[in-house]
Amino acid sequence: MSMENQAQQVIDLVKARGATGDLIIDQGESLSLKANEGELEEYKVSSSQILGLRVIKDGKVGTAYSEAVDKTALNSLVEQALTNASFTATEAHERIQLNNAHLMTDDAVLCPAEEVSIEDKVEFSLGMERDLVARPKVKNVPYNSVQDITGQRHIFSSAGLNARSKSRMCVAYAYALIEDGDKNAMEGAGQASRLFADLNVNDLVERAYSNSIDILDGCPVESGHYDVIFDEEMQPSLFQVFSMMFSGKAAKDGVNPMREKLGHTIADTRLNIIDQPLNSQGFGYSLFDAEGIATQATSLIVDGVLNSLIHNSATASFFDVATTGHASRSPKSTMGVGLHQLEISAGEATSTDLLAGKYLLLTDLTGLHSGANAISGDFSFGASGYLCQDGGRVQPVRGITVAGNFYEMLGKVSLIGKDQYWNWEKSARMPHVRFADIAISG
Amino acid sequence: MLNPHSAQSVIDHGISLGADFAELFVEQSQSNMISTLSNQVQSVESGIDFGIGIRLVYGSKVLYGYTNKPEADELKRIMSELAAKDLREPGISSRSFDYRTIEDVHAAQRTLSIDSEVENKVAFLMAADAAARAAGNMISQTRGSCRQKEQSIELFNSEGLHTSDTRQYIRTGLTSIASDGSEQATGSWSDGGLLGWELQDDISAEKTGSEASRQALINLGAKPCPSGRMPVIIGNGFGGVIFHEACGHLLETTSVAKKASVFHDQMGLMIANPCVNAVDDGLLLKQWGSINIDDEGLDTQRTQLIKDGQLTSFLVDKIGAEQTGFAPTGSGRRESYKFAPASRMRNTFIEPGDAELDDMIGSIDRGIYASHMGGGSVQPGTGEFNFAVTEGYYIEDGKIQYPVKAATLISTGPAVLKEISMVGKDFSLACGMCGSVSGAVPTSVGQATLKVDDILVGGNA
Repeated sequence: MSMENQAQQVIDLVKARGATGDLIIDQGESLSLKANEGELEEYKVSSSQILGLRVIKDGKVGTAYSEAVDKTALNSLVEQALTNASFTATEAHERIQLNNAHLMTDDAVLCPAEEVSIEDKVEFSLGMERDLVARPKVKNVPYNSVQDITGQRHIFSSAGLNARSKSRMCVAYAYALIEDGDKNAMEGAGQASRLFADLNVNDLVERAYSNSIDILDGCPVESGHYDVIFDEEMQPSLFQVFSMMFSGKAAKDGVNPMREKLGHTIADTRLNIIDQPLNSQGFGYSLFDAEGIATQATSLIVDGVLNSLIHNSATASFFDVATTGHASRSPKSTMGVGLHQLEISAGEATSTDLLAGKYLLLTDLTGLHSGANAISGDFSFGASGYLCQDGGRVQPVRGITVAGNFYEMLGKVSLIGKDQYWNWEKSARMPHVRFADIAISG
Repeated sequence: MLNPHSAQSVIDHGISLGADFAELFVEQSQSNMISTLSNQVQSVESGIDFGIGIRLVYGSKVLYGYTNKPEADELKRIMSELAAKDLREPGISSRSFDYRTIEDVHAAQRTLSIDSEVENKVAFLMAADAAARAAGNMISQTRGSCRQKEQSIELFNSEGLHTSDTRQYIRTGLTSIASDGSEQATGSWSDGGLLGWELQDDISAEKTGSEASRQALINLGAKPCPSGRMPVIIGNGFGGVIFHEACGHLLETTSVAKKASVFHDQMGLMIANPCVNAVDDGLLLKQWGSINIDDEGLDTQRTQLIKDGQLTSFLVDKIGAEQTGFAPTGSGRRESYKFAPASRMRNTFIEPGDAELDDMIGSIDRGIYASHMGGGSVQPGTGEFNFAVTEGYYIEDGKIQYPVKAATLISTGPAVLKEISMVGKDFSLACGMCGSVSGAVPTSVGQATLKVDDILVGGNA
């Protein structure tokens, strides 16, 4: 049975039970390579498919998923979702959208065709490890990977929605373990591209090596309050950890600490934050959300004022506003909201101004998943980076912690740089922001 | 789940391609997740995971693939694709399967396949919410959850192994949010194990709710935590995450074999204070990290990792055994069919000692009592680790002074193991999910309350 037929069968069963619903079908194929001591250590291929159904009956919402797609499994999928719905509280705001659009992303942009052999990918993997091990003081490259991932999503609804998106991502990363006597260090670098040919092994090796060797002699700095700049990798990670502050779903659930701050100044007045799904350079590029609603740029913070939360149709209905096209759902989950591609607008500070005087450039934060509380805003992370003076590195720094309250830190912006940077995963685009008076323990 | 004749033909195909070892890991799991918000059911999610992991080994190279399609032709096609660059004349013959029955020593009663018992679980979560709100008007919100999973696995390999097992997992808990004006703080409590919903008989909704709110209210009134190097007392139960991060990951052959662990050449040496005895035990009855067999079909065991401060064993999976020469410890684990197995922890803990909490506190001029811990992480290559304090108190002049806000503790494994100077008697275990190369697997951490003489506290004071 074709995928469309499977989907139609499920949607027909949902309708026959007097319900509405939508079905996500995610399919994926991937290749993953790892090298060790000049040999391919892992060669992994996968093909997978999963169906995720959401039903709404009598104002109650239920979900179920299945990786099996035989007729029994499809019937069970519908029954499970309806049974699950029967236990939930009535949800007046969640409805299947009256959207019968037929949508499709452009494969030429998101999933470009490319002739590349397995041998080329294997050689990239082996060459990356070989070139790093050849560098002075590199003991080995314990964590490395070359991946080629293609994912495809279909959304079908009882209202007639038929949406398809497909994208490809080629990834390479390597972490080099460096030893020099009793000292050691391990840092890495990564690249992501839609075309394998755009991955650059020389650049990646150079950055992985310099990130590791430069931090080797690091030591703690004296405890105190410092000006801090998070580098282009760590700053997006930090904002991602606290992204619940923009969630209309968390606001509806009464757990978003910003739920009553719309229209209020919550950050430095020079700070402007946008969710920008329509920049095709990034991997968060998205034309429609999980309800098939067209995405748009959404100004979240304008001149320091909280301008908007992100919404799906249910949270938007709850707050009596329009959806912002941020519906997000995996086949295994209920409908939520999610940022597409976070962007901080460029500021006015030249690099000379931004890097003037003494500051800490933090290039690695550890414990991001455990050391942060998005509800209170409190955070405390292990950190490493460089003590800098007027743009020059004075010493590498390791074995320190950085702590504070993220929501208070948004008001401690000292300067915002003029140039924007993508992180290597191309999920966010931001200028460097210099924060003042951040607690460092060493 | 897979016809043995069909499986045999696939395994034979793998060996015919010249592989030294071929394996099929078949998995079907059902799961059910209830989420509550305040006193309402927010969602009930359920589903079926099904797939087959295919592993071929050529020397030290692992080829791995997976699919949702169980047909023999599809499995052979993937094997051929995996082996395309390594084809060679067969060096061995695959053995015929000899089915091995596994005794389920953790047999569960109220399993998901019998009944998901949604009403009973909801009643428990509602009672926990009521207990949480009874703590006072400052409790502004609660979120509860109950997740149950039944994982059935079947293994076939070219050494003649054919076996199967079913694992029952359950975990339930509640998070309370306390608010005072614009200030918010959280507290949480959870229980779980390798059993069914009979867990309900061993736990209390009253305790779940009241503990979550007690912690949230403590944190709401907490002061910024002092920072710098100081002695820290780490509470029992989830406090054992210190050993998990500081040492456990560094003893997995996944990093030892690559010499990516600082302990890779330390076997038999003193790596910890002599008061430290540490174990990874897969046998503990109905504990969250226990297993009957590992995900390579080997019996689990109790593995003494450190005895009186001396390194006595690594955690060894099948590939790790071949790479390091150490005997397998039944530690090959994986999240699902989507991952090749790797050496992983099970129930990992520091054994209890004889110190008293009051003596630990009394011995500190200026330090922290971290009574509850959150998660953490480690970089195995350097041993640098971190973990989070979720409930802590400042100690001065041998007495607890006031609660402090969240802080992170950082150090390196080799350093902190030598700084553990006192281990208490109040041993307990706690559930966690451990993420690593073979995905997220259930692991328990544990210890009695213990004292670390010197560690960096990342506070905000």
